[in-house]
Amino acid sequence: MKRSSIPLLITLAVVVFLHAPLVVLIVNSFNASRFGGTWEGFTWTWYEKLWQAGDVWDSVVVTLKVAIGATLASMLLGTLAALALHRFRSRLQSVHHTLVMMPLALPDILMGMSLLALFVALGVQTGMLTIWIAHTTFCTSYVAMVVLGRLQDFDFTLLDAARDLGANRSQAARKVLIPLLAPGILAGGLLAFTLSIDDYVITFFVSGPGTTTLPLRVASMMKTSRNLPVINALSTLMISLTFIAAALSFRLQRRSS
Amino acid sequence: MKFLIPLLLFTVSAFGAETLHVYTWADYVSPDVITKFERANDCKVVIDTFDSNETMYAKLKAGATGYDLIFPTSYMIQLMEQEGLLLDLDSARLSNLKFIDPDILTKVHDRTMKRSVPYTLGYAVIAYRKDKVKDPQPTWAMFDRADLSQRITLFDDMRETIGAALKFLGHSINTRDDAQLAAAKEVLLRWKKNAAKFDNEGYKAGLDSGEFRLVHGYSGDLFQVTQQNDKVGILIPREGVTASCDEMVIPKSSPQPALAHALINFLLDPKVAAENMEWMGYLCPNTEALKLVGKDFLENPAVTIPAEIKAKSEVIQDLGPDIAKYTKVWDAVKSE
Repeated sequence: MKRSSIPLLITLAVVVFLHAPLVVLIVNSFNASRFGGTWEGFTWTWYEKLWQAGDVWDSVVVTLKVAIGATLASMLLGTLAALALHRFRSRLQSVHHTLVMMPLALPDILMGMSLLALFVALGVQTGMLTIWIAHTTFCTSYVAMVVLGRLQDFDFTLLDAARDLGANRSQAARKVLIPLLAPGILAGGLLAFTLSIDDYVITFFVSGPGTTTLPLRVASMMKTSRNLPVINALSTLMISLTFIAAALSFRLQRRSS
Repeated sequence: MKFLIPLLLFTVSAFGAETLHVYTWADYVSPDVITKFERANDCKVVIDTFDSNETMYAKLKAGATGYDLIFPTSYMIQLMEQEGLLLDLDSARLSNLKFIDPDILTKVHDRTMKRSVPYTLGYAVIAYRKDKVKDPQPTWAMFDRADLSQRITLFDDMRETIGAALKFLGHSINTRDDAQLAAAKEVLLRWKKNAAKFDNEGYKAGLDSGEFRLVHGYSGDLFQVTQQNDKVGILIPREGVTASCDEMVIPKSSPQPALAHALINFLLDPKVAAENMEWMGYLCPNTEALKLVGKDFLENPAVTIPAEIKAKSEVIQDLGPDIAKYTKVWDAVKSE
């Protein structure tokens, strides 16, 4: 039987489309040319400069702290919001639904400005705390969306069955509801993590002294830095870490099943 | 919610008594210079970065505080001053002000350094590929050259690009005259036909690789390209150029105005300024420091421009409501 070559072609096109930019970036992290226009020989310079670039690492630390904090908080809040939205159909909940979904539609610049105005009015000094609150705000919406999707297929009679068999409310939630929702919550959390890590606009407004995140630093480096390829080197390290982590989790999953 | 506690602690610890917060462009002050300052003053310096004057201004205007020293571009300082955001500098604490090039002070908005002190000076000039451009001439008319068609980039910046056209015609880059602006528009429409694109970032890589043969760019950036690639040359248009000056200001909300003054004075010290400008690759208008920098740096045409062209150069000024005249020309050029 002759197989169609179309699926293969499409796969190839997708791989090239998605990964060609990454390949260029990785190659340029070893390119002696500062501008990456031409290949001028192999070098470790950018990795050495990255090692010495304390301010870039400071930004990485700030970014990761915020991303982890916002992911955990939004997983909790987003799941609770999704449960409330799914179980109760009152007028209050339809208002709630609109409010939760609002950050998805609201332009980032509006959200950034209004959050900053709020923090200023409250007299809160912008910094790590305000970035964390802002990121949790928009990440919660995404987690709620994903978990809500998962809940659509959720069979609530399972909870009734658990209660019939003698579980109390919290036991039913812990042993039945949470494990079944976990993939949705985790997927939402991962989405929140990636959104938090590369948010620029909102972060710009709510960041304060000492909390320049990586996207803010990179945007400024584009304008004035002589060492922009340092970012290529950092990205290459991050891509490698992601690949290793993905490969490890894939292995673990296979072993457990 | 245990993870919250270290977060909160971090927020609090970032505001210790002896921390100076600098808000500037990335890699704009040498880390060695900062370390020396920290040692001399027994303090910690934290540097945050922004990437556009406009967003930085919007953020401060909305009430963001905590920064002690900011490095905006001259035209934005005018606006910040009008909004009452800036502290009056105490010249008694700034003994090194005397080293600032008096020439640049005739061009910036704050000529007496009452609220701002010039830090770096750059020009918008032309760079070209020596191997691909025949008969290069130091004039803005290069953008009219038919043989370079589609190999040219112009700034995607309203004031810089209209400024180049105005200079080409012999007018001021801060003109409010409608007829002069209309003439500039005609020139720009002609240049646009020749240009591959309007570009602010990619021109450096494009020139390095040879994709572009003639670019409109900032002298500091182009200096970096010439260091990298000896096939790249710089042309300083004889009609005069636009100059841009980033300056140091202290916002009224600064928690550490005394330390901020100390850092301004430190950065103006000739030895420090010389070390600093060689590290970052931008020119500091500091007459004593320029005597101390290496020859390579000083002799580069992007750094030292001929005196008669320097005399014809101007700094972009804020024009208030008349800026609408420029917006109209720019919209017409971009949309046609």
